[in-house]
Amino acid sequence: MQRLPARSPLVRRLSQTVAVLPIYQGSVLADAPPTFTEVGLRYTQYTEDALSDDKVLFGSKDRYDINITQLWIEAPVGASWSVALDVQNDYQTGASPWFVGTTSEGNPGVIMSGASIQDNRVEVGVTTRYFWADGNAGFNVIHSDEDDYEAVAWSMDAAWNTNRNTRTWTASASSSHDTVEPTQEKIPVFIDKEKLDTHSLYFGVSQILSRTAIVKVGLSYTYSEGFLSDPYKLRDARPEAHHRYTLATGLRQHFVPLDGSLHADYRYYSDDWGSQSHTVSLGWVQQWDRHTLNPYLRYYSQGQADFFSPVADFTSAYYSDDYRLSSFGALTAGLRWTVEVGDWTAEAQLERYVSDHGWSTFAGESAPGLVDFWRGTIGIIWRFD
Amino acid sequence: MLFRLYRRKVATQIIDLLRALALLSLGIISGCVTVEEVAPWDRGYLAEAGMQWDLSSRDAKLEGHVYTSKEASSGGTGSAGGGCGCN
Repeated sequence: MQRLPARSPLVRRLSQTVAVLPIYQGSVLADAPPTFTEVGLRYTQYTEDALSDDKVLFGSKDRYDINITQLWIEAPVGASWSVALDVQNDYQTGASPWFVGTTSEGNPGVIMSGASIQDNRVEVGVTTRYFWADGNAGFNVIHSDEDDYEAVAWSMDAAWNTNRNTRTWTASASSSHDTVEPTQEKIPVFIDKEKLDTHSLYFGVSQILSRTAIVKVGLSYTYSEGFLSDPYKLRDARPEAHHRYTLATGLRQHFVPLDGSLHADYRYYSDDWGSQSHTVSLGWVQQWDRHTLNPYLRYYSQGQADFFSPVADFTSAYYSDDYRLSSFGALTAGLRWTVEVGDWTAEAQLERYVSDHGWSTFAGESAPGLVDFWRGTIGIIWRFD
Repeated sequence: MLFRLYRRKVATQIIDLLRALALLSLGIISGCVTVEEVAPWDRGYLAEAGMQWDLSSRDAKLEGHVYTSKEASSGGTGSAGGGCGCN
């Protein structure tokens, strides 16, 4: 089948209108497998800022650099199925906070692990999906392997449409079985091999509000049991069970005169370790001929876990000085650009993440090891019949 | 100090607004809020690439992986997926 060579606004609008008719439905409003095969390759560079002199007591100030490569192929199989193979490789080098001590002035300062850490993670995932007239269902299996950590996970999801296809219900369940075997390098670790199991449920619904607006809301529950401490932190002892809950909602609103769309998302998170968080994301997607520009902002505000303190109190049953369990706020600003040329799509993305204790809406103590980072991505996708 | 308090107040107000959005969503779903009937052939704007919940499923997965490994929170987007030793 010959694909349309050009993507003028008129052709794009006509093809999208046709696409939502039941017989031609693509992945947009469900319920038919993709009509083409897609092969994609993305490369991402993730770089954390070095810690400032006043926050480090000992060790390297440099933190993690991670090179991430994603490769995938997704194809229709017969009239009702699709299958996707995803491979991801992460190569990371650098250092992370080992524990937090106290300076002679009484201020907390980080002792780093040393810049010796190198790790490679390979994740392979296979997803199959079945489509029927009013919905679709998928099954996914993932294996993740790195020097000191192995995970085998599966997930199932289903979506079905009601109310003349204006409302879509979604449910999913997943389970991950992880094994941690810390490597004995320059910092001592105190476990040989531990297990962690995680199970998760999600239920959500989306509703078309008008010809230019759609809204969704969803609830999730995740339960983890096993070794939840960080083996590479000296003062880190966490409970062996963790219950997590989220309420997430989102809105997509298209503005016809501007040929652009507003994205607004909010998530509330709470867990039985005493942490809560608010996450707000706003984005704009501007179509311009073959180009799409997507500037976005994200604000995150977190309250600390009950057993967190800037310098760990290891006389308690549970304790941690991990900055990720402290009270802090974070801002992300990013820009994503894509261009379509024939059967090819190229993309580039740049994102900046900065965090600060003072940006949290929750009370709590500050941690000296908060992270700031850059994330840059380039990618290319080829679609063919 | 005053600036920090003001910033916190503004952030709290924004969060209250978004909580209202969440309640509005629940109202719509439960039938308490009416919605416009949209015929299948009138859903072209909803099918725009820019109207999807995730513009790129691969980027959404990577983004979730990054945030989960640097923040205490996770979830809210569907299945949890496989773990990693990210620290």
